Amino acid sequence: MGIRRYENPITVNDAVALLSQEKGKTAVLAGGTDLIADIRAGISIDLVVDIKNIPELKILRWESDGTLIIGACVPVQRVAENEQIRHRYPGLATAAENLGSYQVRCRATIAGNLGNASPCADHSPALLVLNAKLRIASPQGSREVPLDGFIHDVKKTALKRGEIITAMIVPPQSAGLRSAFFKIKRIRGHDLALVNAAGAYDPEAREFRLAIGSVACKPVLVRGLEGIYQSSDTVESVGEKLTVKALSSISPIDDVRASAEYRCDMTALLCKKLARALLATKDK
Amino acid sequence: MLRQITLTINGEKATLSVPPERTLLELLKNDCHLGGIKTGCGIGECGACTIIMNGQPVNACLILAVEADGSEIRTIEGESDGEHLSDLQQAFIDFGAVQCGFCTPGVLMSARALLMRNADPTREEIIEAVSGNLCRCTGYKPIIDAIEAVARARKTGGYQATSDASAPYVGGAAKRIDGVEKVTGTAQFVHDMLLPGMLFARIKTSPHASARIVRVATEQAASMPGVRAVLVGKDLPYKVGLYMQDKDILARDCVRYQGEAVAAVAADTEVQARAACEAIEIEYDVLKPVLDVKESYSQRTQLVHEQLGEYSWMKGVFFPEPGSNIAHHQKIRKGDVGAGFSKADLVTENEFSNPPVQHVPMETHTAIAQVKVGGRVEIITSAQSPYTVRNLLCHTFGLALSNVRVRVPYVGGGFGGKAGIHLEPLVYCLSKAAKGRPVKMTCTREEEFNTMPSRQGLNSLIKTGVTKDGKITALEIRYLWDAGAYADYGVNVGRAAAYSGAGPYHIPHCKIDSLVVYTNKVFGTAYRGFGHLEVLWAIERNMDLVAKKLGMDPFEFRMRNLLRTGDTTITGEPFTDHHGRPDKCLELVASEIGWRNRKPDATGGKFSGKVRGMGVAMLHKAPAMPTFTSCSVVIKFNEDASTNLLVSGIDYGQGTYTALTQIAADELKIPMDKIRVSWDSDTDYTPYDWQTVASRLTVMGGRATIEAARDCINQIRQTASQALNVPVDSLVCENSRVFVKSNPSQGLDYRQVVMGFIYPNGNSIGGPVIGRGRYIAHGLTHLDPETGQGLPALDWTYGAHAALIEVDTETGEIEVLKIASAFDVGKVINEQQCRCQVIGGVVQGLGSALSEKFVFNKEGRFLNATLKDYKIPTAKDIPRESVALFIETPHPEGPYGARGVAEHPMISVPSVIGNALANATGIEMHEFPLDPEKVYLALKKNRRLVP
Repeated sequence: MGIRRYENPITVNDAVALLSQEKGKTAVLAGGTDLIADIRAGISIDLVVDIKNIPELKILRWESDGTLIIGACVPVQRVAENEQIRHRYPGLATAAENLGSYQVRCRATIAGNLGNASPCADHSPALLVLNAKLRIASPQGSREVPLDGFIHDVKKTALKRGEIITAMIVPPQSAGLRSAFFKIKRIRGHDLALVNAAGAYDPEAREFRLAIGSVACKPVLVRGLEGIYQSSDTVESVGEKLTVKALSSISPIDDVRASAEYRCDMTALLCKKLARALLATKDK
Repeated sequence: MLRQITLTINGEKATLSVPPERTLLELLKNDCHLGGIKTGCGIGECGACTIIMNGQPVNACLILAVEADGSEIRTIEGESDGEHLSDLQQAFIDFGAVQCGFCTPGVLMSARALLMRNADPTREEIIEAVSGNLCRCTGYKPIIDAIEAVARARKTGGYQATSDASAPYVGGAAKRIDGVEKVTGTAQFVHDMLLPGMLFARIKTSPHASARIVRVATEQAASMPGVRAVLVGKDLPYKVGLYMQDKDILARDCVRYQGEAVAAVAADTEVQARAACEAIEIEYDVLKPVLDVKESYSQRTQLVHEQLGEYSWMKGVFFPEPGSNIAHHQKIRKGDVGAGFSKADLVTENEFSNPPVQHVPMETHTAIAQVKVGGRVEIITSAQSPYTVRNLLCHTFGLALSNVRVRVPYVGGGFGGKAGIHLEPLVYCLSKAAKGRPVKMTCTREEEFNTMPSRQGLNSLIKTGVTKDGKITALEIRYLWDAGAYADYGVNVGRAAAYSGAGPYHIPHCKIDSLVVYTNKVFGTAYRGFGHLEVLWAIERNMDLVAKKLGMDPFEFRMRNLLRTGDTTITGEPFTDHHGRPDKCLELVASEIGWRNRKPDATGGKFSGKVRGMGVAMLHKAPAMPTFTSCSVVIKFNEDASTNLLVSGIDYGQGTYTALTQIAADELKIPMDKIRVSWDSDTDYTPYDWQTVASRLTVMGGRATIEAARDCINQIRQTASQALNVPVDSLVCENSRVFVKSNPSQGLDYRQVVMGFIYPNGNSIGGPVIGRGRYIAHGLTHLDPETGQGLPALDWTYGAHAALIEVDTETGEIEVLKIASAFDVGKVINEQQCRCQVIGGVVQGLGSALSEKFVFNKEGRFLNATLKDYKIPTAKDIPRESVALFIETPHPEGPYGARGVAEHPMISVPSVIGNALANATGIEMHEFPLDPEKVYLALKKNRRLVP
């Protein structure tokens, strides 16, 4: 129980070196809103590497080509409040403002939300529909992996021992890209998602992307949406088609938070809501 | 490995050495002794530990102290300048945003951080900013109003305090007398206390709902570092229980619910105690649990308590049935139900139910005990009565009452869950085993759910006979209470809710069987409303269902059956003019909600978006207490004619001490600020009170206060009469002065009299003025065991709610647009406190109505025993509008006619929402909570959704 050693390096290389040299159980500490609750619940960790003192991980930046870089230690509230993100990727901003309470958002990070690989993480769907990638530092150097495929199962990711997420990278999107995020909860206040869903629509390419959380052992990026929006389609028919695709992609279970039946029906509802939100009247 | 860190805390630099696993919360609270910061859950769900770190509000429980190195930290201790309250602190007092005060420091920090980043927040931004702070008392509205007032006042030169009340105080707008201590974080809760040499206790609990204990091995645990005492069930051959002595302090031989304490350790630190608990080995023979209350009731083979017949219980009041799982059978028999049903034009049967839930006080149960050499025992506990704790503790261990001192300081919410006795026997035994060191046990939030008591579930079957013109002819009811593993208060809930169990209606023929049934679940106890919220769910939903069958408006159907002068209650009590006006309550709320505009119940049709509906529900409750309970108050004058008012009833947030102070000030003819109520109730110093439960303290304590004050006045007049050489009858008191009525200039200031009058030659007479007051209810009777007839209660408080709701048929989510609540309180002693009880109680009721429930799996494991998955209302979950209305039909026994109204606001909140839901959608729900999933699936099942 507890923590044997705590280190707070100031470079990514040092962080990675510390993690890979430690023989015992290690943990990376960013916001800590999950990790410290786990420690309280009784897990023991030999080495905690706090990455918050690494300057480059606190950067939130737009590159000249339109790439958005969110450093691993950027708190969720900063993303929620960022005017440019709110304007360009409202789905991501909405996911951010729907995570936990204000206090939690001041500490929690998106990297932690993804890295903990909870099926109900709000940022997973929001970033999946933006084709986000993760920048991962390892003793061998840095690499980028798509978020799609990064999460393997409940609490399991592609991260290997000694690796840390250093940033989320949202590649440039078409200028008119629309995005939205919806979440079903038990109360109006802070709660984990019973179902959460994000959608993105590129009007130029008439391309839809849809991702759903809390309906399988990992967030689900719905496949096969190419050509789903034909000129003869209405908002409603697109919503129905999205629903059909979504329901065939998910495998929800009954648990303490909701039944599989409710999760399926709410998935359908969120598909309809996404279609409504993403397809403005002028597209009809 | 210690690490040195530097923090700036409230402007002062501090360098500290900390181990890596220490949280910032532990550091600030335990090492830096910042007592205002609170622990509510340890996982960032409740916000009680909110501080401002580098300008941002954060949960200190989710930050390691080492992470905070170099940070600027602001806590509640930095909110005032040390002399004056801050604008927010003042506004919290002025708006009634403080009740128990446990969440208050955290809420204030969230509010301050908001105003630091946004000088002019919208109401929505305020709600967002504080919705991470759970409060169980206030219903959030007063908090939001207070912050809004401060924000708006910034443009007009800053927030100005509202003016203080002046005499006469009763009926006026006196502010809470405990407000300043609570908003500054200086109010000390047991939670905050650390004593020299104190040990920390932890418990090991059963993972099984039903099992035999085969083997317990404690040797390894006992030899671990820091461990001073290890106890298991066989060390403690005692049975404890309030009405039925059925519970072990630590389980012996068998466990009866998942979460039951099986072993306990006291050690130098919490971490050591916890590690030792983990090292205790327990081998179980797992049995199949009895979980369903109906199944438990109907079978006699699987017994939760095989020795039920050997237990001792309060005879003549409770009636267990050995050889079954029935812990108590309360019968009510009035008239002849057979004859009543034969007069009916319509007979209906309905079944209703609700799951167990929890109080969720923001301060979990916590107690400290020290058993000193020589036998003197000191207990400090977060409880609802020091005297009942003392009495039951001494009864269990055979101690002399005078040798045991029980203190109760500020209590962070109780709601019934801290009535009776809970952790105290365990910490007593641990202290004894640890050679007299003080031992403290504080439940984690998970233990609070898993191990501490809950509110019982209920299954109700109601048969109603009614004539075509809407008069009820007969009611036959079976209540099955899911007591869980032990009887605790549950048996008395089953008794009290039975004698109220037909609702506030005239029922000529009534038969109720209220059965309290053991199951292998966490046990039930008192919870605000004492069974009435559950019973009135069944009664008030039933009223709407019957009205619908009759084709009658539910308001009208109720009006035709409400109790009126000349009627008798189901226990044979004549309803008189003094009882109050349930009909007026109903009229008021119906008019406030706009009942005339109510659309008929939705019948057919399909929904796609949001639909609205309106409902009403009645409620009533009397104090559920033994016939002989009493209360006393002592008022002692000080040299400067200020006073101390000593009372052992507990103000755990409901505001009673403020009411008692108003009463005492008016009676003594002194200003309120000259009266200090002892907040530390203490069996060594404050006089007897039975328990603060049953909404009884304003009534009984109020009466005792009046008597004590009048006793003081008599003593003052006696001494003054001698000093002034005038007859006692000629003297009156006003403005801290006693004087001759016909010649006001002939008189004495109180200060010349209250310590004795001194003549010019030095002779003196009189002596210190100490007033004594007491109150005991007269004329109450035990209920007849076969018929339930008798006079069970002192005063009934009647009330009604009306609600307008909006249902999102796509998700099943219910939003309360408006709720109006009316109560016949007899006399409003403090309008703000009354209103705040209503607003807060309604929101607590909405928790029951909309989201709160225990979920067990088929092995009896409790699946949602954390605040992550047991959802109580946040600031975002409150009604858009909440209106409190009061009627004042004086009660002859109440102080100035007042009745209790602490529990009542919560009662019938699920009922009114259920009725409004039926109006909105046509869906008749028989079980609450009406959570989104349940409502949605009911709509779906009834094919009310657009496909």
